[in-house]
Amino acid sequence: MESEQYLAANLRRTVAEDPRTAELGVRITVRGDHVMLSGDVACEDRRKVLEEVLHEAAPELTIFNDVRVTPAGEPEGEEDLR
Amino acid sequence: MIRIAAVGDVHLGEDMRGRLRPALEKVGEHADVLLLAGDLTRHGTVSEAQVVADEFADLPVPVVAVLGNHDHQDDKPLEVTKTLQDKGIHVLEGTSFETRINGCTLGVAGVKGFGGGFAGKCGSAFGEREMKAFIQHTCDIAETLEQALSELDTDIKVALTHYAPVPDTLRGEPPEIYPFLGSYLLGEAIDRTGTHLAVHGHAHFGTEQGMTPGGVRVRNVAQPIIRSAYTVYVMEGASA
Repeated sequence: MESEQYLAANLRRTVAEDPRTAELGVRITVRGDHVMLSGDVACEDRRKVLEEVLHEAAPELTIFNDVRVTPAGEPEGEEDLR
Repeated sequence: MIRIAAVGDVHLGEDMRGRLRPALEKVGEHADVLLLAGDLTRHGTVSEAQVVADEFADLPVPVVAVLGNHDHQDDKPLEVTKTLQDKGIHVLEGTSFETRINGCTLGVAGVKGFGGGFAGKCGSAFGEREMKAFIQHTCDIAETLEQALSELDTDIKVALTHYAPVPDTLRGEPPEIYPFLGSYLLGEAIDRTGTHLAVHGHAHFGTEQGMTPGGVRVRNVAQPIIRSAYTVYVMEGASA
């Protein structure tokens, strides 16, 4: 059985290098038969595709997808650097 | 007074078309200039660059950008640059942009930057050809940044990069990957040139605020950090 460390490393490379995801800003943590995803992506579709790609790579794992979608609204206030 | 809006790592593609546009169309109410700190696309394709160009086209303020590592993924940085330039976006790589706002002059010098690490914990141009090429790429870029910054004679000087010039703004990222996130050589260029503000992206798990060893404010504007379409910094020129 593949160790959790190698599995997490390989899954992280998969979501970085698979063109469907190309996400370098997602953390992947494997604990037993669970994998947790955290971090931010730019839109809801990309959040879903992460799950698809991970499931293909490791169908035996239960996915906790805690990834958030980055807000894209106007800023609240400003920082005064004067 | 100059209001500088900035964002990095928007990672646009066809699936994102129009998502930032409502906030961007109001950027003139918040700021006088908009800086884009790289990773504008996901895969660096020309079609994704077209989405970026359309998203940031015809805004009421000048748009000044550098590319990031994602914008190099398809090995077409020149085509990506041209696509953005065709829609009026100023794309910097060892070059600068100057403007006058409210009687105050602003100069922005920009480079993509690269990795290598930070003082005492960095790589050297020694050993294998690949290692020398890695560090030399950073050395070359830092040199062009310093040159571009030193040539600016504006009230406010801003350094715009994708990679980080200091480790402060990486807090939250695993320390083991700092050498892939930035280089002290960029910070050194900033400190040697009387620069007032350094803006970068790249570190999605980092933190917004930092400072160079020479006392220049550094801001990480990666969109997952600032959590809005852009953030705004208000500055005053020395002679304004």
